[in-house]
Amino acid sequence: MSFTFWFQGLAVGSFTSDFNYNLMRVVRFFIVIESFYVMNFDRKIGDKNILDKFTEDFCSVIDRHCKYIIVSGFVAIASGRSRSTEDIDMIIEKISKEKFIELHHDLDKAGFECMQSSDPEDVFSYLEHRDNIRYTRKENKMFPPEMDIHFAKDELDEWQLKERQKIKFTGLDVWFSSIDFNIAFKEELLGTDKDIEDAIHLRKMFNGEFSEEKINKIKSMIKYLRRVR
Amino acid sequence: MRDKTHLEFIERWADFIKNKSQSEWRPKFNEFIDAQFDIAKRFRDNMEKTEQGRENLKNVIEWRKKR
Repeated sequence: MSFTFWFQGLAVGSFTSDFNYNLMRVVRFFIVIESFYVMNFDRKIGDKNILDKFTEDFCSVIDRHCKYIIVSGFVAIASGRSRSTEDIDMIIEKISKEKFIELHHDLDKAGFECMQSSDPEDVFSYLEHRDNIRYTRKENKMFPPEMDIHFAKDELDEWQLKERQKIKFTGLDVWFSSIDFNIAFKEELLGTDKDIEDAIHLRKMFNGEFSEEKINKIKSMIKYLRRVR
Repeated sequence: MRDKTHLEFIERWADFIKNKSQSEWRPKFNEFIDAQFDIAKRFRDNMEKTEQGRENLKNVIEWRKKR
C-alpha cells in the first residue's frame, strides 16, 4: 500500500516536475531497503538461532555435572558442512545414579524433558543398560531439536572425552570430540556414504590441523574394542 | 550407532507431523532446518577471514564440484 502510494506520488510528482520532492522520496525508499538488509545481515551474524541456543543451554547444564562431548553429524555441520541431522549426539562420562538424578533435575529446571521418562531413576536405567536417552525442550512438546545422550562405553570414549576440544570458528561455546576422532570414527566404524563425505569434508576443512598417525591409532583401537572389521 | 530410541524418535516426529496442521509444524520444522544451514554458513564465513581458511574452503569447493 505504501509502495503504491509512493509510486503514484512519484508519477504525479514527475508530471508536476517537483524533482526535489521525488528525489527525497527515492532516497528515503532506498534507506528503508538498505536498513532491511542490514537488519537481516546482523541477524545472521550476531544472533543465536534456535539450535545454537538449544545446544549451548543444554551443554551448560551438563557441564556443571560431568564431562561431555558433542560427536558425529553435528560436528560436521558446525564445521561448515551443509547438511541436516535429526538430533545432536552427545557422550557423557559415567556418573553415579545420585549424580545423574541431580543432573536430570537441573535439566528439568532449565526447561528440558526426557522422552523416555520423567523419573530420573528410570532414565538412569537406560544409561546403565547402554541405551541412549533423549531430551527436548518442554515447550517443543518432543519436537526437535533433540539431544541424544549415552554414557562413555569404553576406553575409546574415555580417550575422546579426555581430548575434547572447542572448535574455532563454530561460534559455539561447547565441547566437541576432536577432529582426529571424528575422522577415524566416520571412516572406520560408521562408514555410510554420508559419513565418508563428512570425513572428507573434515579432512579438507581442517587440513594441517590433525594427525594421520593419531587417526590410525584410533582406528586400530576401534577395530580392537568395537570388533567391527 | 543408532539404537532403538532413534526409531522411537522418528515415529514420534512422524506422529507429530501427522496429527498437527501444516501451519503448526511447518514453521517449527523450517526454523530447525534453517538453523543447521545457518550454523554451517557461519563457520564458512569465519573461515574465510583467514588465509589458510580461504585455501581450505577452496579445496572443499573443488571436491564438491568433482563429486
